[in-house]
Amino acid sequence: MSTIIIREIIKGDIAVSTSDGDLIHDLITDYLKKNETVAVDFEGISIMTTAFLNAAIGQLYSNPTYSDDFLNKYLNLKNVAKEDRILFSEVVKRAKEYFRDKDRFEDSTNSIINGD
Amino acid sequence: MIIYFENNITSDWTGYQKLINLVNDASKIKDENIIFDFAGVHFFEANLCAVLGTMIEILENENKKITFQNFNNSVQKILCKNEFLSNHGFEKAIDHYDTVVKYRKFNPTDDEGFNTYIKKELLSKKDFPSHSEKLGKKIMQNIFELYENARTHGKCNFIHTCGQYFPNSLEKQFNITIVDRGVNIKENVNRFLKNENELSSCDAISWAMQKGNTTKSGNIPGGLGLDIIFEFIKLNNGKIQIISSNGFWEYKRGVTETKILENPFQGTIANLRFNLNDKSYYSLAEEHSENWDFTF
Repeated sequence: MSTIIIREIIKGDIAVSTSDGDLIHDLITDYLKKNETVAVDFEGISIMTTAFLNAAIGQLYSNPTYSDDFLNKYLNLKNVAKEDRILFSEVVKRAKEYFRDKDRFEDSTNSIINGD
Repeated sequence: MIIYFENNITSDWTGYQKLINLVNDASKIKDENIIFDFAGVHFFEANLCAVLGTMIEILENENKKITFQNFNNSVQKILCKNEFLSNHGFEKAIDHYDTVVKYRKFNPTDDEGFNTYIKKELLSKKDFPSHSEKLGKKIMQNIFELYENARTHGKCNFIHTCGQYFPNSLEKQFNITIVDRGVNIKENVNRFLKNENELSSCDAISWAMQKGNTTKSGNIPGGLGLDIIFEFIKLNNGKIQIISSNGFWEYKRGVTETKILENPFQGTIANLRFNLNDKSYYSLAEEHSENWDFTF
């Protein structure tokens, strides 16, 4: 199984920007497109944000091919710091909401604002 | 032409109102040379240098040249320590007590520059984090979330930032302010919602602070960063202030307050106050288990 070592790709221990997350997303999809299993290794990452994870992981849900089952089978997350684990659940939950039906989501948001 | 700063300026509604009124007054002046006179200021909350820096960016963009005069000694000293005045002909001063987080302005594409700045300014401080590494890490995560939010949504030329640490206060307060003069929250939210009845600045900020609300529409989801900050500030008994266009939004100690400013601000000010003496244990269920078997 191939491994993407975050620290090596982003050249540091701070995984915070959308652009770095985008870079990781593109590397992951290079493997997923070929139905190859890939591990993403977070060893040594000291700070991580939802902005980074939205781009790296949440963005995967923009491709309908990547179902939960598909991602469980082909994508393996390693060495995530204990205190950062909650971010993954939040980001994945949010991504599913966001992409489930983008139009419906936007409509419902408008309804909330308009109170109708 | 001289613009007089007549009173002390602190990070509250009155302080922001004064600064925003001053930049609006200065904008109306035809004279290219504007002098900011600080004779009436005996206390200036140092993190507000991020706002002052943005005011200068706004005025310089209108081809005005800004100079400073008549500083009270203590105000000049702190603004030299945090290097705000270095670009205006004043000497740097040594920060013996290591309490300033220097004023800097960043090009939004320079994420490496901001990362290095935060690491250098925060992690190098002997008292940071004062209570636990975990708290320090959470605070840094919040700052990066806020910065990324400004970078993504503001579409600005520069992001200004400055902070101040009060190690002798009971709660060991740490303030950090991040300001951009890009697209403001009211414009962003109303453009996204496309409602017939536009949201006011305050309502637009309230909307943006709700979990799951985002103006993003591409393939990268959003709507979590500000909520992460908000939830942490609640636990930490800190404070968040957001000023965008003519809206002022503040959360502190369980109370959210919104107010309208007399003049609009061309951009967004975000001010966070953290309590470094926080002895709470931030218990998150997923942190307890040794083994983590994440499923999508």
